[in-house]
Amino acid sequence: MGSLVLKDLAIHYDRQVVVEDFNLAIGEGEMAALLGPSGAGKTTILKAVAGLLAPTRGDILIDGRAVNTLPPEKRDVVMVFQKPLLFPFMNVAQNIAFGLKMRGDGSERRRTAVSRILELTRLEGLGGRKVHALSGGQQQRVALARALVLEPAVLLMDEPLSNLDANLRQEMRELILSIQSELKITTLFVTHDQSEALMMAQRLALLLGGRLRQAGTPQDLFHRPADPEVARFFGGGNFFKGRLQGGVFECALGRLPVSAASGNGHVRTATIRPEDIQLTLDAAGRPGGLAGRVVRTRFEGTATRAWIECDVHEVMVLTAAGELTLGQEVRLHFPPEKIRVFPEDKASE
Amino acid sequence: MDRAETGVDARTRRGTGGMPLAMLLLPALAVTVLLFGGGLALGVLQALGYLPGAGLTRLTGAHFIRVLSDPDFFLSFGITLYVSVVSTLLAAGISVIAALVLDRLAGQYRPVHFIFQLPLTVPHLVIAVAVMFLLAPAGLLARIAVAVGLIQTPAEFPLLVNDRWSVGIILTYVWKEIPFITLMLLAVLRNTGRDLIDVGRTLKASAWQRFRHITLPTLFPALGAASLIVFAYTFGAFEVPYLLGRTHPMTLPVRAYKDYSDIDLMARPEGIATGLLIALVVAAAVVIAQALTRAARRRGIVI
Ligand SMILES: Nc1ncnc2c1ncn2[C@@H]1O[C@H](COP(=O)(O)OP(=O)(O)O)[C@@H](O)[C@H]1O
Ligand SMILES: [Mg+2]
Repeated sequence: MGSLVLKDLAIHYDRQVVVEDFNLAIGEGEMAALLGPSGAGKTTILKAVAGLLAPTRGDILIDGRAVNTLPPEKRDVVMVFQKPLLFPFMNVAQNIAFGLKMRGDGSERRRTAVSRILELTRLEGLGGRKVHALSGGQQQRVALARALVLEPAVLLMDEPLSNLDANLRQEMRELILSIQSELKITTLFVTHDQSEALMMAQRLALLLGGRLRQAGTPQDLFHRPADPEVARFFGGGNFFKGRLQGGVFECALGRLPVSAASGNGHVRTATIRPEDIQLTLDAAGRPGGLAGRVVRTRFEGTATRAWIECDVHEVMVLTAAGELTLGQEVRLHFPPEKIRVFPEDKASE
Repeated sequence: MDRAETGVDARTRRGTGGMPLAMLLLPALAVTVLLFGGGLALGVLQALGYLPGAGLTRLTGAHFIRVLSDPDFFLSFGITLYVSVVSTLLAAGISVIAALVLDRLAGQYRPVHFIFQLPLTVPHLVIAVAVMFLLAPAGLLARIAVAVGLIQTPAEFPLLVNDRWSVGIILTYVWKEIPFITLMLLAVLRNTGRDLIDVGRTLKASAWQRFRHITLPTLFPALGAASLIVFAYTFGAFEVPYLLGRTHPMTLPVRAYKDYSDIDLMARPEGIATGLLIALVVAAAVVIAQALTRAARRRGIVI
């Protein structure tokens, strides 16, 4: 088991810089997620950690030891790829035993280890199967088993669930989490799915355009995004420019009380998540708030997304409050503690 | 993308698209079957002694028996097998190395690629003639050897064409077939091989282990299929041994041609019978090649 530290990592293909100034530290036995949209450079970073790509600059440390110059086969790191990439000419058990065999483990030892890992990944009885006779979920579990059986210091997973359908994906997340908490293998899990990242990770790093935008606990990134772009990536909306002065944020919507530390009157951006806005149907229920009219709705199952026109500004709200009709008069309440004022104005909308 | 990347999916997709395509091809298929099947049927008839033009109308297996009971036939069969097996094995071995090198060079050296593909476009006959000019007792190599003082007279140059070991024929085939096999292997390496090699590296396989346990098994179906096709071709080809081979023993295709074009019309059924025996060997090789390809595709290896 080991810790993984990436220091000032920069990686480029040919002359195109893909990753820059990347820093990340993952503690022993931790489950960390690297989140980012497609093309952000996630796979590139994993390949560098695995040793399949040489970084242009920076250090990769496992248990405090720089491994930059070690080839992949000498690093205590195993990678699970986006596609299962099973060896087509081997059966399930042979696939799983591959790494052990390459390492020189005897056949008795291999058999014991494989049967244990088959059980752990819920593949009992499938050891003799041809890999092309497996379902997509089973194939990906074999790929996982093939990596886990080596008990690496660091396990890398590159969007291992993105080829599976939604139900199976949920099941696999639970499985990976339970295995990870049992084996305590330091894991870096890559995904483009923010909800997957939030639910799986103890630590979360958001990568946008090859740069680390924010790292922290899932709660940090979700509730305390560093900038509007991070907030937007996690489904945030409602960005307003204004001035913070004496506990009040003055913007086009009016004077909103906030619980943020008092500002100095410089232009800043504030946001409130759509589900944090409280929507009431009439003034009688609760006085105050902002009056508005429903202009658009979208039913999303557990909640309804509604766009409310307040004066000339549109506010997006996610509410469980019954059915809304177009043109309906409603009132919006902004709980002061839910309004996040960003440190300095970075919003370039 | 909720679809798992499995060979099964690819197969069903191909399967559904297959039917209308077969319908479109029907006219062309009909012509092919008629010409090829008809020709084959006529051939079989003639081999069985049905030659109305020469007054032969009784069907008999005697020609096949005569062909098979001629000790010379087995000498011919032996030399044919020798030439095709040796040239196929040489070409296959060199192709594995060539494919690995070309894959390593990747896109960096396009000209290498181009030069490599050249032999594909040159007819066998042309290569045979070139080999002749190069290796013949008074050929280019012999003259160069004399010029640089390696040997005194061209006569001392070893016999490499129309020779006992069929060196000229084998060299022609090897030179011609290497690009074919290599390009098939290269496609597999590019489509399946590189990813699997990366997997192998992270699973701690050394360079030799990756070659032995990943590259070779991945290449095997394509290598087998391509080699069988090359074997089938060299076994049945006539022009190269005709030009570069000895007059005795002849390879089977040369023998079939000689018999068929003999002024003695009675030799003709034997020529065709020989031809049909060649076709049998060739067909068997092609069928096995197909089976290998299909099995590999089912496992998700791109060929
Ligand atoms: N082999 C390569 N050569 C050149 N550019 C590449 C290569 N692989 C990826 N890239 C580029 O690097 C960027 C990051 O790619 P990648 O790490 O695969 O992103 P992600 O995994 O986050 O989707 C993309 O812009 C991609 O086009
Ligand atoms: Mg990727």
